[in-house]
Amino acid sequence: MSDTEIVQNKSEEASNDFVEDGSNKLVVKCKFCGSKILEKKTGKFVVQEMNLPLMHQDTRKEGELQSEKITEFYHVENMYTFENIGFTLTVDNYKYLSCADCDAGPVGYYDMNTKHSYVALSRVEHA
Amino acid sequence: MAKTYDYLFKLLLIGDSGVGKTSILFRFSEDAFNISFISTIGIDFKIRTIDLDGKKVKLQIWDTAGQERFRTITTAYYRGSMGIMLVYDVTNEKSFENIKNWIRNIEENASADVEKMILGNKCDLDAKRQVSKERGEQLAVEYQIKFVETSAKDSLNVEYAFYTLARDIKAKMEKKQEASNPAGARSGTHQLRDERPKPTSWLARCSVL
Ligand SMILES: Nc1nc2c(ncn2[C@@H]2O[C@H](COP(=O)(O)OP(=O)(O)O)[C@@H](O)[C@H]2O)c(=O)[nH]1
Ligand SMILES: [Mg+2]
Repeated sequence: MSDTEIVQNKSEEASNDFVEDGSNKLVVKCKFCGSKILEKKTGKFVVQEMNLPLMHQDTRKEGELQSEKITEFYHVENMYTFENIGFTLTVDNYKYLSCADCDAGPVGYYDMNTKHSYVALSRVEHA
Repeated sequence: MAKTYDYLFKLLLIGDSGVGKTSILFRFSEDAFNISFISTIGIDFKIRTIDLDGKKVKLQIWDTAGQERFRTITTAYYRGSMGIMLVYDVTNEKSFENIKNWIRNIEENASADVEKMILGNKCDLDAKRQVSKERGEQLAVEYQIKFVETSAKDSLNVEYAFYTLARDIKAKMEKKQEASNPAGARSGTHQLRDERPKPTSWLARCSVL
């Protein structure tokens, strides 16, 4: 239990610039085209581990999905909270989230069981 | 949390396989660049927020996920839909003829008052054209549906089409609301604003520079 607490504190510190009162202080945008994904204060900051496929897959490594571990997310309970977002077809009970304008992604994922969405802080821009 | 929008419209893209429905959903706006990971999985739907006469409108736009290949789109897919983009390919005569079949399919499966619009897509391919713009317009007049030629490739008229469909749905809903609660419960200014010139869908040109 104490372990998770430590992780949490560290992460909150790391994201201080973007998180205020537990949610996104700034507007969340696409890193590539600037399309608005979330309004201020609409995503709840959470720390959890999840593997997300890389946005740029190395095509030389054919048939091998490259992903990375991500721990910081904005939790969005209702999908209509999003300003602009794409949902992929379902893969293993998840949908990946992508930019609605340039289709860059995944910027996060959607859990089919809970119907909640999670946006990775490291995959978006704050403005 | 409080609701942060005024309207939520579920929209569908319908039409023969290959007419460009997925491309329209992928390239709703300019600056499209394809990131392979997302495109290999495929987009199920998109949520977009637009401003219509000061109202915040959420559009949830669905692709058919290839169901159309079997020529049967089930009632489940249509459920809750308020607007449908009927798409054909201007370089494919058959896809144009099938619009009538799709309209019948909609009448059998979707809610009776669903708003519709016809899109003649791939209008950038003028050299391969099989369906003239006039024939598209005629069909639209016949069914009293709005029509515009689009190019998903050049992002031409795509955004315009979604705004037009959304605006028509909104107008219809407001009319219904008024009918069910009349006598100026709301200020008259909104009604006046809706009388703005209708979008020039009949005139909107599919021109390529
Ligand atoms: N030139 C041109 N090609 C298009 C256009 N829209 C789609 N296509 C192409 O038509 C093919 C079928 O498109 P797709 O979106 O998969 O059609 P769907 O089966 O209706 O989803 C693809 O090769 C697209 O690149 C367009 O506006 N112009
Ligand atoms: Mg398709």
